[in-house]
Amino acid sequence: MRFKDGITEQNVVVKCGSDFMLPFALMFGFMVIFFGTTSPGGGFQGGVMVASAVLLVYLGYGREAAQSVISSEFIRVNEAVGAIIYVALAMCGIFAGGMFCENVFFRLFNIGDPLSAGTITFMSYAVGYKVLTGVGFLLLLLVGLLALDTQEEVDA
Amino acid sequence: MSHIHFPVVAVMSMFVGGFLIAIFGAKRRKLSQGIALVTMLFADVLVYSLFSPVILHGEVISYWMGGWKPVEGYAIGIGYEVDQLSLFFAMLICFVLTMSMIYSIRYLEKDSALDHYYTLNLMLGGALLGIVMTGDIFNMFIMIEIMTFTAAALTAFRNHKAISVEAGFKYLVLGSVGSGFILSGVAVLYGVAHTLNMAQLSTVLSQNYNPSTIFAFALMFSGYALKSFLMPFHTPVPDAYSAAPASIGMLHSGSLNKCGIYALIRLTYILFRVMGLPAVQTMMVLIGAVTMFVGVTMALAQHDFKRLLAFHSISQMGYVVTAIGLGTAIGLTGGLFHAINHSMFKGLLFLCAGAVYYAAGTTDLDRLGGLSRKMPWTTCCFIVGAFSISGIPPFNGFASKWMIYQATYQKAVTTGNIGYALVTVIAVVVSVMTLASFIKVTQAVFFGQERPQLSAVREVPALMRVPMVIMSLICVLFGTCYNLVNDFLLYPAVYATLNTHGYVDAMMGKNYAAASGMPFVKYEPVQFSFWNPVTWLVLFVIVLLAVFVVMMTGESDRGRVLANKGEEADGKFATFFSGEKSLPSHVGGSDLFWGFKKDFKKYFKVVQGIHSGIVNDYVLYAVCGLAFITVFMFVFVLGR
Amino acid sequence: MMLANYLTAIILIVLGLFCVITKKDLIKIVLGLGITDYGINLFIVSLGFNEGGTSPQFAMSEIMHGAYFVDPVPQALTLTSIVIGACVDAMALAFVVMLYRHYGTTDSTKIRRLHG
Repeated sequence: MRFKDGITEQNVVVKCGSDFMLPFALMFGFMVIFFGTTSPGGGFQGGVMVASAVLLVYLGYGREAAQSVISSEFIRVNEAVGAIIYVALAMCGIFAGGMFCENVFFRLFNIGDPLSAGTITFMSYAVGYKVLTGVGFLLLLLVGLLALDTQEEVDA
Repeated sequence: MSHIHFPVVAVMSMFVGGFLIAIFGAKRRKLSQGIALVTMLFADVLVYSLFSPVILHGEVISYWMGGWKPVEGYAIGIGYEVDQLSLFFAMLICFVLTMSMIYSIRYLEKDSALDHYYTLNLMLGGALLGIVMTGDIFNMFIMIEIMTFTAAALTAFRNHKAISVEAGFKYLVLGSVGSGFILSGVAVLYGVAHTLNMAQLSTVLSQNYNPSTIFAFALMFSGYALKSFLMPFHTPVPDAYSAAPASIGMLHSGSLNKCGIYALIRLTYILFRVMGLPAVQTMMVLIGAVTMFVGVTMALAQHDFKRLLAFHSISQMGYVVTAIGLGTAIGLTGGLFHAINHSMFKGLLFLCAGAVYYAAGTTDLDRLGGLSRKMPWTTCCFIVGAFSISGIPPFNGFASKWMIYQATYQKAVTTGNIGYALVTVIAVVVSVMTLASFIKVTQAVFFGQERPQLSAVREVPALMRVPMVIMSLICVLFGTCYNLVNDFLLYPAVYATLNTHGYVDAMMGKNYAAASGMPFVKYEPVQFSFWNPVTWLVLFVIVLLAVFVVMMTGESDRGRVLANKGEEADGKFATFFSGEKSLPSHVGGSDLFWGFKKDFKKYFKVVQGIHSGIVNDYVLYAVCGLAFITVFMFVFVLGR
Repeated sequence: MMLANYLTAIILIVLGLFCVITKKDLIKIVLGLGITDYGINLFIVSLGFNEGGTSPQFAMSEIMHGAYFVDPVPQALTLTSIVIGACVDAMALAFVVMLYRHYGTTDSTKIRRLHG
């Protein structure tokens, strides 16, 4: 690996592989999140797949590229936003007169629609958002931890 | 919004507060502290407003999440049930959390990344409230996991010091092993009963002793015993309590192991209803007695202030488990009273330790000394705490310890088993050794000569003194007005624990318990029976005044006493006095009981060798504890 | 047929605990914790199997008395447990990295400044 303007370019085969896989990973991950109530998958599983995009960028382009393309502050804040949306949806049940986490929308749609599960679909989307930002931030942090060790190797 | 929504909203609001701090609190210290305090006060209001319906009117709040009520007698939803025992622990936890948060405002002013601290602290509080207020056993496991993570992260909060990270790692490994035991137990239980609701489980499992249920009981008992840190699962405690910041140490010893005790009570009294079996009683009393004794003897050999307090914490938990394990109403009352008293006085002691660390920068007993002149408030609060933990009237430790001695002795008389009288003797001896240990600490830290490097020490700020003073007032209050405590807090909680039919009927519908064939047992309320502690308080004040008067009229310079009036101090006495004045001659923390330690050197070598500090050994002890409990249960309960 | 699953689960749990007790390297201890968690997850998900049952997804018109499906509750429990296992592993590894920075070694017999 050689440092060149802060971006370390990998081997051309690895770079092409990561270029090719990145849209598939993102698309498939989002599909698994969105159709979570009618097909296998759901919030957590899809979220982890989308978060693997961080690792793909790191493998293809190096640590600096991963840290500049994906802003870690934005992801960190959005993790908590996802959690607050989940709690707000759960409180809808109380405001509508029932219990906590009560399913309040589900009679509005047909069977077989992903939205027919009512509050549960939106809660699943909120969980997916939280997991993708959370695991993405975790991976970004772990990749950044490796930086200090490799910097010592370059300096020494 | 009627009051049945309050438990869930209290738990959720703590989590939401944590998330809000994560969004807005980066690098804004005052905002984080503000959001944390507001959330904590909101949750306090919600929990304390449940006092009137639940305790005064005797209502049990049963709440099904999502509106999923039981169908044809089967529970299909997650239920939250708040009865008097849950509210007892919930009020205690809210109080301890609020005190810790007020204390941490000034205590952590030199630390950075405070938004992380407050987020983790609020999530820990939410998890603790969730444990005590839930009626579903898997939900309790989830909350225990959240509690373990956040507590491990908070232990390692000051990660520029190596010992904090080491203590956090050991706590995480041990906690994870314990949670693994609990999850295995829950899985086996689900396989047997196909339900996760505690009320329905208690009807299925009552008198149902086959190998699967007994194995599940052994696994869950070991897991919960690890969370309340009894022997031999106590090993991460000394490291974690000494390395954590003092406001977290107070939470550890004041609420985390109380949640373990709550889970043990729910497991043995309500879920499995095995407290009638002499085998289970013997096992719990044995574990409690060993915990008491080894905890206090290890504490006598310590050099570090907070590590010593941690070992005393372990020892006092031994008292609580001994009392609960007796299976009688008076034992349960004594155990619960000692649990709440322990939170008060141990929290107070940890806050004083934190104050000493804030002022002097060290917690090593050999390097501290003579701080009472510069820190009078801390000294007074520490003395109140030290007398409470040793069981001296009129403080609260005396009331609860007396009740525990009474309970064990009564059990010895009614069953004719001499082992319980031996437990009473052990409890009294441990009390005496606790007093000895605290005399050592008080002398080493607060009294004696002041060290030259500690001359810049000043009293801690007012915001740190407020929680200490409030908790010491409560120590005195609970010690003198024990009847009020009994009427409003203890008797409802004990009655709710022993009255399993009420618990089950509140969740699953009327007459469910009777219809499923659960036997009904009747208990009577207990009375306190010792001398009036107000006379003790008056006697104490008189003796204190007398000591003060004698000290003031005495002469502090011995050289002038022996010389005649009007003369200089005679030079021939210089060899006796001048040496002492020029050298510091403070009796340090390690020197006070060295004779005792030297005589019992073999015992101390073995016990200190067991606490080796290596994480593999600690996990080995935990697994051996699980093996012992499993074999004991199989041999004595199934082999009848 | 489920006997193979249960045996594997028990073997994994015991192997994981054995790893934590005997291995001296901190990363191996964390791996042992992970193996224990996976063993417990396998155990839970095997509990819910009913021989010949279908997957538990029904429309309101299809569900009737006597419908035979596998138990969905252990699947939900296992999902939650997997998330918890991932979090524990992540946090433990972060601790291991910080311990290496402070002590310069990942040998658990050398990381014992708090003992006695």
